[in-house]
Amino acid sequence: MVATLVGRDNYAAVSASTDPARPRYTRVSGRGLVKTYGPTRALAGVDVDFRAGEVTVVEGPNGSGKSTLLGLLSLLVRPSRGTLTFGEHDARTNGTLLRGTVGVLAHAALVYPDLSALESLALTAELYGLGAVEATERVASLRQRFELGSFAERAARTYSRGQLQRLAIARTLLHRPELVLLDEPSTGLDKASTARLVDAVAEERARGAIVIVVTHDVGFADAIATRRLRLDRGRVEEGS
Amino acid sequence: MSLLSSSLAIAKKDLTIELRTREITVSTGFFALLIAALTSLSFFVDDTLSRNVAPGVLYVTVAFSAVLAISRSWAREREQDAMRALLVAPIPRLAIYVGKAISTLAFLVFVELLLVPLVAILYHVDFADVLGRLVAILGLATLGIVLSGTLFGAMTVKTSARDLMLSVVLFPLITPVLLGAVVATRELLGHNDAEVIAWLKILLAYDVVVGLAAGVVFDALVSE
Repeated sequence: MVATLVGRDNYAAVSASTDPARPRYTRVSGRGLVKTYGPTRALAGVDVDFRAGEVTVVEGPNGSGKSTLLGLLSLLVRPSRGTLTFGEHDARTNGTLLRGTVGVLAHAALVYPDLSALESLALTAELYGLGAVEATERVASLRQRFELGSFAERAARTYSRGQLQRLAIARTLLHRPELVLLDEPSTGLDKASTARLVDAVAEERARGAIVIVVTHDVGFADAIATRRLRLDRGRVEEGS
Repeated sequence: MSLLSSSLAIAKKDLTIELRTREITVSTGFFALLIAALTSLSFFVDDTLSRNVAPGVLYVTVAFSAVLAISRSWAREREQDAMRALLVAPIPRLAIYVGKAISTLAFLVFVELLLVPLVAILYHVDFADVLGRLVAILGLATLGIVLSGTLFGAMTVKTSARDLMLSVVLFPLITPVLLGAVVATRELLGHNDAEVIAWLKILLAYDVVVGLAAGVVFDALVSE
């Protein structure tokens, strides 16, 4: 796969993920979501709905449950109580299938430092079941959009913080996820890269993706948010 | 994505990184060769005694090398939280286990290709006549160590006292493999075929049990 992706220049245009088995949905809903870690209640009964075409910025102080909420939505963390549904699909019974529809950007880059950007993207494409043509087109497109070209063939260990973040964003969006989860996506980015990220978020929204962003960057939040959700001590604050 | 194809993708990723860095094979290989050389200086008395000592040296070296390789292999999943990328991917969680086990097995086979001839030379043991059965014993033992080590190595991704925990948990668990492999190899060199076959069955049973147990518990072990 790595060899297939590197160096090919006849990219076929593919407008959306072509996997017919991939679940489609326009709403993600959580009901009574509780998550406890020992005696600590990270989420204390949260009811939330996220719809396609919305960019929801989740706000709240440290320890309010923002990262835990993203963990549940990324299907990495199981709720202690409550239900999470992706359209008609229950997260408890369709976890593996649904994970293919979610793009996750975390604090760390989630890439292997000894692989290059192209190799990391190729691995992601392989794990998400993208066909060779679609993978090649997506890698080329994201390489251009996030300007990975100058360092894409070097090991990620040599990247600056901003370059690593750009690779991480490209990895998150590679498989055209239905649900895009971005945890502090503007961290380490310069002005131009942040502007490209704002455009990318707007494109994801226009494509019909559900975008959920946790950020403390007020300017970035103002530029992308269509809705705000405030968490405090594991609960959704009234009026948000 | 199927269990097989995603396992192979993960194994291929580990092998690609290793081919680039040579970190695990070089450090583990030198470590194994050093143990074999040092112990031969201490333990070599005569050909008869050395034939009894050689199997112990061989499997103790393999066990220590395995811990080193497993620890380093899982450490790669900690950097940049790369393990999370595998956990959020639409692949069976078991594929992470199988993929890591395949690559670790490959690293150890490479080390054993260096180690076995060296042990044969240093301890004056002729493995040529019994090579097929030695490969069977060594293969089943290495597989057992890798299956156990990979399972508990996954726990080290999230814990702080990683190497300590891996050693404390793993060595008691692989004691049956080490005992079985040492005795089977000793009997092999003594041409006691019935004993060898009996121990081979025990090693096979161990591998099957650990493999099945891993299939059941791995998902829970890596889930939050």
